[in-house]
Amino acid sequence: MKNQNEAGEAAKQSSSGEKKKKFDLKKYAKQLIVIGIILIACIILAFLKPGQQALLSHTSPAMQKMIDADANLTRKRVTATYNSLFIIEYVSLSTSGANPMSERYVGFLGRVFPADEGAMKVVGQMVNYTYRMLGCGENLMHGAKLTILLTTLTVIFGVLLGTILALGKISKRKFLSKLSGAYIFFFRGTPLLIQLFVVYFTVPGIFGFAWRDLFPASDAEAVYKGAFTAALIAFALNSGAYCAEIVRSAIQSIDKGQFEASKALGMSYGQTMVRIIIPQSVRRMIPNVSNEFIMILKDASLVFAISLMDITTISKNIMTSEGSYLVFIPALVIYLVITAFFGFIFNKIEKKFSVYE
Amino acid sequence: MSDSYEYILRTEHVSKHFGTNEVLKDISLSVKKGEVICIIGPSGAGKSTFLRSLNQLEKITSGKIFIRDELFLHRENDHTVEKLPREKQQELLLEMGMVFQRFNLFPHKTVLANVCEAPIVVKKEKKDVVEARARELLNRVGLSEKADEYPNRLSGGQQQRVAIARALAMNPEIMLFDEPTSALDPELVGEVLKVMKELADTGMTMLCVTHEMGFAKEVADRVLFMADGIIAEEGTPEQIFTAPKAERTKNFLNAVLEA
Repeated sequence: MKNQNEAGEAAKQSSSGEKKKKFDLKKYAKQLIVIGIILIACIILAFLKPGQQALLSHTSPAMQKMIDADANLTRKRVTATYNSLFIIEYVSLSTSGANPMSERYVGFLGRVFPADEGAMKVVGQMVNYTYRMLGCGENLMHGAKLTILLTTLTVIFGVLLGTILALGKISKRKFLSKLSGAYIFFFRGTPLLIQLFVVYFTVPGIFGFAWRDLFPASDAEAVYKGAFTAALIAFALNSGAYCAEIVRSAIQSIDKGQFEASKALGMSYGQTMVRIIIPQSVRRMIPNVSNEFIMILKDASLVFAISLMDITTISKNIMTSEGSYLVFIPALVIYLVITAFFGFIFNKIEKKFSVYE
Repeated sequence: MSDSYEYILRTEHVSKHFGTNEVLKDISLSVKKGEVICIIGPSGAGKSTFLRSLNQLEKITSGKIFIRDELFLHRENDHTVEKLPREKQQELLLEMGMVFQRFNLFPHKTVLANVCEAPIVVKKEKKDVVEARARELLNRVGLSEKADEYPNRLSGGQQQRVAIARALAMNPEIMLFDEPTSALDPELVGEVLKVMKELADTGMTMLCVTHEMGFAKEVADRVLFMADGIIAEEGTPEQIFTAPKAERTKNFLNAVLEA
């Protein structure tokens, strides 16, 4: 008997190993090749980038002189910003003083292009804006990083809260059911922006604290971190209400026979939920959670109202300070890329959970 | 746990209403340990409801249910008059295994995990002990190679055999079969009946709601004919199938056996 088991075990392992190989190679061959080609092309382009020094050495003689002179000065006269986006780079130089100068250059494919006018100016601006909106060279509290972090955490907490609310809503206890219902009604029936204001302004006002005080005063980012905490709380509370409906409909879509079988085997309601029903509903939730994720991703732009520097806030700031109406185009593209990426991830997760169907 | 009891399962005057619809009317039945009872009858007769009432998937409207001569539940007019304390009730309920028409296997768990689930979660048994027993049970129903498959990869007959193994893993004293072969393709019915027959031969107490007259004839100790919520006739298979007394039984058997 034991030998048989071991043989069975071995057979199982080898067969599942084979399955995995097939799975990886055959199913993903095309995608892997495409991704590989793109990656290799990008790496080559990245290597062909001239580099910061090359860009700086292309500047005009007058600017060159200033830069050289600056090396010995404590108070610099040249302000240089260098933005590198993996395959393309941009440098912008400006001087203060009596005869202000400004020069811009784009480096791409081993060449340096002046970017003071024409198409290259637009390209240079786009690189610069994208760089800033992605939050490159900044911490997690900036740009796309902030948006993605806030959205991801919101969905995680939202689904957890939503599960609790959904279990409350379908509970046979009237009180729990009514309580969950009221919560869902409230958070779905009021605007997210006002909920955000309430959490950010009203709650600290009533209870006499400030969000930034949650972090040490020495932390230069305390204000942002405080605002982020408030935004996360508001978003998670709101998303919980929407996720509750997603979870509830997923649970109620599970065949009644699953409850009956569990009960007939002596499992309690809690055991049935945790071990049988919820694991099965997860797969059915994923498309809707994916949808909710995309909604939150876009709703996250509301944090501009509490001065957090997300993609939307940065694009608006660029618009007002530099008068560049083109800034919103890279903003849209960034959102689209994020949406596509997470759509892909959710798709994979759904496939993974579908293994038994 | 007392070993001296007369009837392993007994009902007295069990009734069940769905709204104004009276599905079970005053059903009294006594089952001795080791008995195999087949319940036949037209659809809508309350056969399944009766079976489901026994292990509390349906709440009876009134009547008494005894398990091992202990009063398990007494209800009148949809109110519980008397019942055992929760733990005791749970303990006795575990003595009943149930097999459903639609198998109701857990689709997200492998065959082996399906069989192991309840003993580990409900009885808190050790995983390796349960697994060894589960493999033995799967072997008994002829599915030892399918242990690591997901249920949806199996045929209906194989799924139903897994469901039987799953119920047996809890070591029940009584097995309830609710039309176990009704959802199967005709060529798959035999393999499930064979397993049930082998189970009956081991001395398991069984209550089967079934439309397989051949099986009832061969395996049952007693056949109940239910119609319109009452037990219209009961007797040995010979009595029921060769010399039915009630008119309804005759009509039913004529209709079924002709087809």
